Amino acid sequence: MVVTTPAVEKPSTAEELARKLHEAAAQKLAVVPVGGGRARGMGGVIAECDVELHTTRLDRVLEHSQADMVVSVEAGITLEALQAELAKSGQFLPLDPFNSPGHTIGGLLATGWTGPLRMRFGSPRDFLIGIRVALPDGKLATGGGRVVKNVSGYDMMKLHYGALGSLGVIVAASFKVFPKPLHDVTVSSDGGWNAASHALSTEVAPSALELDSTGRVLARYTGSPDAIKRIVGELGWKAIEATAWDEHSRRAPERWARIAVPRQALRRLVQALPSGAEWWASPGVGIAHWAIASDAKVVLDVRARAEAAGGSLVMLAAPEDFMREVGAWGTPPATLEIMRRLKRAFDPDGVLNPGRFVV
Amino acid sequence: MVPSTVAEELRRIVGPEAVIHSANDLRIFERDGSIEGAMPDAVVLASTTEQVAQVIKVAARNKIPVVPRGAGTGLSGGAVTIRGGIALQVTRMRRILEIDPVAQTAIVEPGVVNQELSLVAAQHGLFYAPDPSSQKACTIGGNAAENSGGPHCLYYGVTTNHVLGMEVVLADGSVHWVSGDAPDRVGLDLCGVLVGSEGTLCAITKIKVKLLRVPPSIATLLAAFPSIETASQAVSAVIGRGIVPAALEMMDNVTVGAVEAHYHAGYPTDAGAVLLVEVDGIAESTRELMAAIGKILSDNHGYAMREAQTPAERELLWAGRKGAIGALGRIKPNYYLHDGVVPRSRLPQVLSAVGEIGEHYKLPVANVFHAGDGNLHPNILFDMRDREVLTQVESAGEEMLRAVVELGGALSGEHGIGLEKSAFMPWIYSEDDLGAMHRVKDVFDPDGILNPGKIFPDPSRKTVHLAGRTGLAVEAKWW
Repeated sequence: MVVTTPAVEKPSTAEELARKLHEAAAQKLAVVPVGGGRARGMGGVIAECDVELHTTRLDRVLEHSQADMVVSVEAGITLEALQAELAKSGQFLPLDPFNSPGHTIGGLLATGWTGPLRMRFGSPRDFLIGIRVALPDGKLATGGGRVVKNVSGYDMMKLHYGALGSLGVIVAASFKVFPKPLHDVTVSSDGGWNAASHALSTEVAPSALELDSTGRVLARYTGSPDAIKRIVGELGWKAIEATAWDEHSRRAPERWARIAVPRQALRRLVQALPSGAEWWASPGVGIAHWAIASDAKVVLDVRARAEAAGGSLVMLAAPEDFMREVGAWGTPPATLEIMRRLKRAFDPDGVLNPGRFVV
Repeated sequence: MVPSTVAEELRRIVGPEAVIHSANDLRIFERDGSIEGAMPDAVVLASTTEQVAQVIKVAARNKIPVVPRGAGTGLSGGAVTIRGGIALQVTRMRRILEIDPVAQTAIVEPGVVNQELSLVAAQHGLFYAPDPSSQKACTIGGNAAENSGGPHCLYYGVTTNHVLGMEVVLADGSVHWVSGDAPDRVGLDLCGVLVGSEGTLCAITKIKVKLLRVPPSIATLLAAFPSIETASQAVSAVIGRGIVPAALEMMDNVTVGAVEAHYHAGYPTDAGAVLLVEVDGIAESTRELMAAIGKILSDNHGYAMREAQTPAERELLWAGRKGAIGALGRIKPNYYLHDGVVPRSRLPQVLSAVGEIGEHYKLPVANVFHAGDGNLHPNILFDMRDREVLTQVESAGEEMLRAVVELGGALSGEHGIGLEKSAFMPWIYSEDDLGAMHRVKDVFDPDGILNPGKIFPDPSRKTVHLAGRTGLAVEAKWW
């Protein structure tokens, strides 16, 4: 591989970004979109990178309508900057990804990274209501809108969410936002899987519940004060500061993977990780993150089991040779050929993130 | 008519009794719940995925349009065979294949009726959340094709938020599973793209859905308001306080009159508008929320508030809401219903525009809608036997949608674009936006045999006055 230094472009408008993308695509140059750079290790080792296309100067809040509980932002705004804006009106975006802070909204949409609050609020797949994307042919295409319920045309949000910038570069997005909960309580236990399962089976599910390899369980209850008081009282765990979640969201090992399986299969899978393995999990969602200290063979073995359970093991970061050895994604989906056709329809020359995504 | 060789092939696939092609019988399949109809050349009643696949293969080979069809309750012409061809009826595929109470999922065939799934799931303390008002008749397959909503989608989300995976047949007759029940599946989210694609990208043959636990406590409140404006203000006030109820529905005076005459549910007929509010959860939570909501509503001119005291009372309140459109038949035999969505704070403006448009055309309009979502349902009431009035009705509907778009809204919240609104798509999307959607269409259906003439504007069909409007929303308002 010839190592060259890529050109770095930092456009300040969506139109300029689309133009830069088009110029590069016209010369068949490989383009790597970059947001906050928090998920740069995700995906296959990039075959080439001629142009780094940064979205970080597209960092404006385009419109926040407090009464409508809808916000539109440019893709390069950081999650923290957006939350600060929403907090002024007592609102928030229920997204708390790992390897925080510093994620951009565009990056989070492209990678599909989520965090503990997904248990109650779902992922951005559920509250992304509009998207604008720059395509390799220089066009800017919008899907959805700024209303909370919309079936006008194809759901282009789903097409780009989690597609790792392989069909286009997200330049703006609109979200349904949420009121800050009336009451927000965090409790903790050292009871491991059994404690976690118990909390998940009670009458009121927590909004977030995380369990880690030390056996510590963190649960967050949001909603009406009387209800929370009763549930938390019945659970009997100790109340702790909400800052525990900030600490938790900073987790980002140098070598790590995301295991995603139907949630009833998660416990068995995580318990089969090598003894002493460091991991943390969202049992209510079916996702675990694993800080890998094993060799490639062990990772492949865990992946085989995750896939057999109907799920996946995706590498989030690792040294290049390790990443090559285990592969980023695992067995390609059975519908790969359809995905390839979509890729060709949007990026016929394969200039976007070559080698990084599944297609 | 389909060529006789094709008819013969279809009969061989599904059996002779499952192919309909006499003009009299075909007429039953001429329309859905919307105004415009067109006769299919043949109707095929499929019973299995394999049959659906074989039928589509025959259609593909002969370049004959195929329109998948469920109960035909759709309100945008999605199931209308506007270019003729085959109506592919899936209502015989009506088995609930699996309910997994531990995983809280179900796998159903596309012809399963929406309410039936919740009734069966109730044995396990579970329910299926999306609840279109037609849920006694509409099918899960149709719901997935249209990405249907319903009153409780305010809190629970629409169909796409509840579909975990689907078995689909593509335009070449190939069968695929898209997605599944693990989160964060590898690759592009084909399932997410196919839900809501209105039969233009695939036929749906199985759906895996999420089921939710039936909430232990439900509280339902009816409140009267002097006017639509005051009721809209109250809606904004509730949501502005950080409360998202499970459902928040509004009915105007015209609707309330019709509903009360029909259901005797105790709706206050003197009110300018009524709100139906529901919260669910554990008893402490519903009590607390309902107390807060009651206070906000009365601070905002709400009166004659009545909370359902028994499940039967709750049922009756909901029967009035869900049966409202049927009850409107007391006023005029036909209705024309749009479902534009506006940012919630624009509700008073858009509703006053809707009222003015009705007055201008001298057509009665009844509003019954999902106020919490900003999703309008103005029903223009008329008598179809008066052919002249039909043009007026369509013009009024179009003007109402224009008002929606000019207030930053979208053409459809839950009914789909289908046939009736395809010409208006350029009001909210630029040529490039539609071009990107068309690339998706071309990938899935390069020959355009699946439900042709839907979603995308068809220049040969209808002239729409676009002067000064194309791209308006995109350039000036959206971003």
